[in-house]
Order: sequence, then C-alpha cells, then structure tokens
Amino acid sequence: MKIFITGIGGISAAGRNITEHLESFQLMRRNAGTVSLFDTFLPYPVFEVKSPLINKQKNEMRTLSLAMSALKEALHDAGLQKDFSGIKTGVCLGTSVASQLNDIDFYRTYRNTGAADMAAVDRFLKGNLAEAVARSIKASGPSITVVNACSSGADAIGVALSWLRNGVCDIAIAGGADELNRVPLCGFGALGILSKFLCSPFDRDRSGLNLGEGAGILILETEEFSRLRGKKSVLRLAGYGAAADAYHLTAPRPDGSGLESALRKSLADANITPQDVCFVNAHGTATHDNDKVEGIMLEKIFGQQIKFLSTKGYTGHTLGAAGGLEAAFTATALREGWIPASAGFVQQDENIPVRPITEQTQINGSFAVSTSLAFGGNNASIVISKDQGNQPEP
Amino acid sequence: MNIAGIGIISTRGRGIDSLDIALRQGWIAPSQTKSHSNDQNVFYPAYRVKKETINDITILKKIRRADKFSKMAVMAARDAVIDSGIQINHKESEVGIILATAFGPHVTTFRFLDDIIDYGDGSVSPTTFSHSVHNAAASYISSLLNIRGPTVTITQFASPIHQSLILAKAWLTEKRCKYVLIGCVDVCGNVMEYICNQKLRIANDGKIRPFNFSASPSSVPGEGSVFFMTTLENCQNKYCEIIPAYITNCDTIEKSDINIIEADGMAGDETSYQNTAPVDVFAGGYSPIFGSMKIISAFHCTVSALMLKKQIRYACPVQDNPYDLNLITKTESAEIKQICCIRKNCANKTDIIKLIR
Repeated sequence: MKIFITGIGGISAAGRNITEHLESFQLMRRNAGTVSLFDTFLPYPVFEVKSPLINKQKNEMRTLSLAMSALKEALHDAGLQKDFSGIKTGVCLGTSVASQLNDIDFYRTYRNTGAADMAAVDRFLKGNLAEAVARSIKASGPSITVVNACSSGADAIGVALSWLRNGVCDIAIAGGADELNRVPLCGFGALGILSKFLCSPFDRDRSGLNLGEGAGILILETEEFSRLRGKKSVLRLAGYGAAADAYHLTAPRPDGSGLESALRKSLADANITPQDVCFVNAHGTATHDNDKVEGIMLEKIFGQQIKFLSTKGYTGHTLGAAGGLEAAFTATALREGWIPASAGFVQQDENIPVRPITEQTQINGSFAVSTSLAFGGNNASIVISKDQGNQPEP
Repeated sequence: MNIAGIGIISTRGRGIDSLDIALRQGWIAPSQTKSHSNDQNVFYPAYRVKKETINDITILKKIRRADKFSKMAVMAARDAVIDSGIQINHKESEVGIILATAFGPHVTTFRFLDDIIDYGDGSVSPTTFSHSVHNAAASYISSLLNIRGPTVTITQFASPIHQSLILAKAWLTEKRCKYVLIGCVDVCGNVMEYICNQKLRIANDGKIRPFNFSASPSSVPGEGSVFFMTTLENCQNKYCEIIPAYITNCDTIEKSDINIIEADGMAGDETSYQNTAPVDVFAGGYSPIFGSMKIISAFHCTVSALMLKKQIRYACPVQDNPYDLNLITKTESAEIKQICCIRKNCANKTDIIKLIR
C-alpha cells in the first residue's frame, strides 16, 4: 500500500516555515544565541524559535504552540481544513519535554509550603501533545504521544505508517515537537554533552550538541484517500525501521548494530537496496559517540560515496521534534532536488570513514533516508521517496 | 492477538499467583501517606507497591540505579516473558516493546528539580536526569532481556492500553516482530498524591466504589505495572485472545459473559456507566484492589485473562450496588467464554477491550 506525504510543516530557529528554512539552508544561517526563555547561568548556546505567534496563550504549553504552528503549515500544504470530523484520522506525535510535569515554580512552591497553584498542572493535563492536537482538529482515530527521547518524532512517523497500512486510519498527522526547557539543558549539561560553541556534526573537533526547539509535521494519507479527495503528491513515506540497542541508558552501542538493524529494516520495508538511496539526513548531534557510531554505520551500509548531512547545525538538537523536523527536511529536499551543506563541519575525523557534504548539492534520485538515535538505545530510520515513474513497489 | 504470558506488580504483590490470592482475599485498606503540607494531620490514602515487592536479588544488580518506575516495569516485563514460556531468539530481534504510561517517572523528575533548586543548574545529577526520561524503563527492559526489536514508549491520559494494543496488532500483522511485550506502568508519589487530592475527590475510607455511577466519584491513587507477552501465534499456554475497539454508543456493546466496569474515579462523571451493565450479564469491577490509575485497564485485562484461563469468576472486592446490577458476589468456577472491559475515558469515548477464551 502506498502512503503519500501530502503536507509538510516545520518551525525551528532556522525558520518559521519550510520556505524560511530553505533560505537559512542556502545562506548557511545559524540562528543560535544565549538562552532567553528562562534564567540560567549555563553558558551553552541554544537555538530558540523567535516568533511572536508562539506561546501567545499563557495557558498553553510552548511545545503545543510549536506543534500547532507546524500543523497549520502542513494542513495548508495538504489543502486540508482544520476540522477532521467524520474522517478516520490518526494523530501520532513525538515529544520529550511536553510529557513531563517539570514546572520548577510549581514544584518549588509545593516543596516550600505543601501546596501550590494548579495552573501548571492544568496546562500539563491539557498538553498531552497528540491528545491536544487530536482535540483541536476533532480527529476521531487513534492518537499516541511517543516519548522515545530523541527518536520520538521519527518513531511517531513510523507508528503512523503502521496505522495507515493496517487500515486503522485513512489519514495521519505525524511528527514531533519540543520546546527549549531548563530541565534538559541542565541534564544534558550534567552529562557533559553540550558544546560551549556552535555545534559541528561529524567534525574532528566536535565538542557536543546545542539544544534547540521546534516542530516538524507530515500529513500522511493512504493512496485511496488522497485520490478520493483529488490530492496529488510525488512524495511517499516508503519505509520505517526501528531497533533497540539493548545496551545502555545514554550511550549508543559502540558496534552500531542497533542502528544497522534499524537502517536495514527500513530499506527492506521500502523494498530498496542501499544503492537506491541518494542521500541520508543523519541524526548527527555533534556528540563524540553518536557521530562516530553513525558515520561508521553509514559507510558500512551505503559505502564511501554516500551523500549525507546533519541539519542540527541549523536547528540545534530539538529532541522529540528532531525526527519530525528532519523527515520534513528530507521530504522537502527530495522535492526541491538539493540538500544543504552540513553546517559546522570543517575537518574529517580519522575515526569516521566518511565526511558530510560541505556545500549545497544537487541530488538526483528517488529515495532518501532520515536516521534518529536516542537515549535508551532507540534507533529509527525512515525512507522517503519521490515518485519518478518506474520504481520498486513495496 | 493472543496473550501468551502476563507479569504484574501491584500493591498486592508480584506475579499472576499473587493476583489470584488478592482476588480471593478481597479488598484490603490502602496505606496512608503523610501529606507534605504544613498541616501534620493530613494523610492521603494510596495503593502503593511495597518495597519488598520489587526487591528481586536475581536482577537487582543489573538495575541497581533504576527508580521504582523502571523497576516495576522491568520485573513485570520479565515475568511476562517467563510466564509465556516462549524462548526468544535474540539474534532475530523478534520481540518488540510497547510501554504505556500516563505520567511517567515523575518522582524522579521531581528529584531532579530538587537538584536544580538545591544545587543550581550546573550541579545536578546526570544519573537522576537520565532516569527522569520516560523511555528509561523500556531501555532497562530491552537491556536486561536483550530485546532488540522496535521499542516505543507512549504517554497517554486517555486509553493508554487500548492504543498500545492497536499498535501491537499492527506490528504483528506487518511482521515487524513475532511477539510484542505490551506494558503499562505508573507510579505514585507525594506530589502526585497532592495533585490527586486537589483535582479529584478522594475516598477517605480508601474504598473505590465502581458501581455507584456517581457524577463526582471518589478515587484513591494507585501504582503498579502490567505486561502482556502477545503474539498472533496460537501458543499452547495462552490465556486468551485480546481485541481492542472504540464504541460511541453503549447499546452496541457485544454481549459477553462478564462486563468489567472500569470505573475508578479517575475520569470524572461516571453516570454513563449505567447502561454498560445489562441485568443478564455479570458485572465485575476490580479497581478497589489496585487503586485508581489512568492505566487501570491493563489490570482489568489481567483479571479477565486470569478468569478466562482458570474459568473462575472472582467476587467483586467492593460490592456496594445501588443500581441492583448483576454483580459477581462470590468467587466460583464458571464457564466463561468472553469478557468485555469497559472504560469511559477522559476524552469522552468508551474503550472496549474484548477478551475471548
């Protein structure tokens, strides 16, 4: 069964919509700065979304505002209204921050006095990402909020693919959203994986990641549903694979076998070989371990000549949003026919046998892959295709 | 989809045998936790899992840093695999994991906030942080059991087990894996008990009354974990078949031998449960054994699976019956072919989970 991508939406520090992202990519614009959303003395640069439209309502979680912004764009792109009454619609979104009740002011007051105002709790209870989005568009199908840490967005897209193929719904809203928050900033800082400089994925001198925020959403439809409503799209979600490292809570399995398994499963799911893939949008966080494992595995599976990049140099690591945003960028790149330079890369690491592209590059092919690795040893890989006539049929 | 094995951790102990004992014993009053408030005389009832229940020396070394949330999940998942008798081929990544929770490891999140408040942004514990992430529990399960298939942790307030079953069925049908470990876990803590006290009406006597069908029902927070080893294969030792569905109109609920009414005071107004218990169908409700939880359906599915396997009807632990329902009032052998677990979720839908012998 073919599953079409009929709408794409994205918001991050690199742009408030997909068009602005393309501009940032072309100009290699990196909108990082110091934290302005909350007080902290931590010195790490971050990629914040600067938009007056985000968080206008005080009773709404910022993550939800980001998701609604990307959703609006994706629905417009798909030619859909914001009311799905009577349509079998699934909502599957990934996040990390929005799943936690981590309001410091609420907790501090409770701790000090044994009582606290319930406003933060109400915001949290109304803010379950998939449930809130499903309510807002009157979706009547399944809804799941995936909390697989940094692969949440990619896994959410994979869940939606399974739903659509199995007839659980006809159309699905899938992707991820996450806000910049003090808890992960402190936590990642304590783990020693934040960089004090702009991140440089896959570079020899990389020193860690920069946190970001954003949302990336795809509108996915079965072939029959999109045909019935007269929507044509050349983009398809062709495959998904996931595998667990079964190794460690925070570090990737050094031999990369979990990632390899996820990648090979996604290619098999799409019924293609590694040679069919024209580029990979890598997870590329700019941490020492992630980039090493990922680089070695990309070379092992796709060979030395594989074109790959990390877009985290433009967006920062948006955690639960990353898989959604990067799937949106991957689909857009296939549609546009070019991929941006991997921002931040200068020198090849002798322990990584491949190097990302360093300038805007034309691509000519039908399949692209987006990878996501996560805390907890989750690995996910998505295959997106652009229909160009004859091609393998899953 | 078949349930081949079950693992359960609840206030009444660990394992399916402890559940059988608890169901025969009936209701036992919950523990009372002292409030964190300035008023020293405030106590909250809660069905907490005892420390000794999750002190398993055979695996404790491998999960020594894990919090209660992860420990409850790991032990129930491990027990489900063992109970199924299925030998996993670890090379083939033939097992997937779907772990559902409403609130995640919030006790650890608050401990991390303690770090930030007490020591500042730059002096927090990386270990506490990594355990505050929702998928830490699934990571422990995959590491301990060497499970290398797809792993998804989901957080839902409405229908967590229901959503997990739908996804598991899709994975099995697509042959993404041969078995799926489906689990639910939630934990209690001082802050959550305070929140429950503010947001819900707490039963001061500790008794949940599932058949009162009140517009403002009483609840008592609970915690625990349930895992099912599921497969499409027709395995020898299976408990039953399990099928999830949404229903918008209770008149369309298929007739079963027993309807389990999942009212526990967590989802607000329970008046609409009235038409889910016709007089010619036995009605059961076991939330008073476990406590109120968004994941209570997983516990009711476990009771149902046990009833189907053992062909026993378990007496309802609290039998207040103002609507004169056909309640199960005593534990006895019976021929049971089908049980429906019925839950009005907080999104105003009725979740039905059908279990068939």
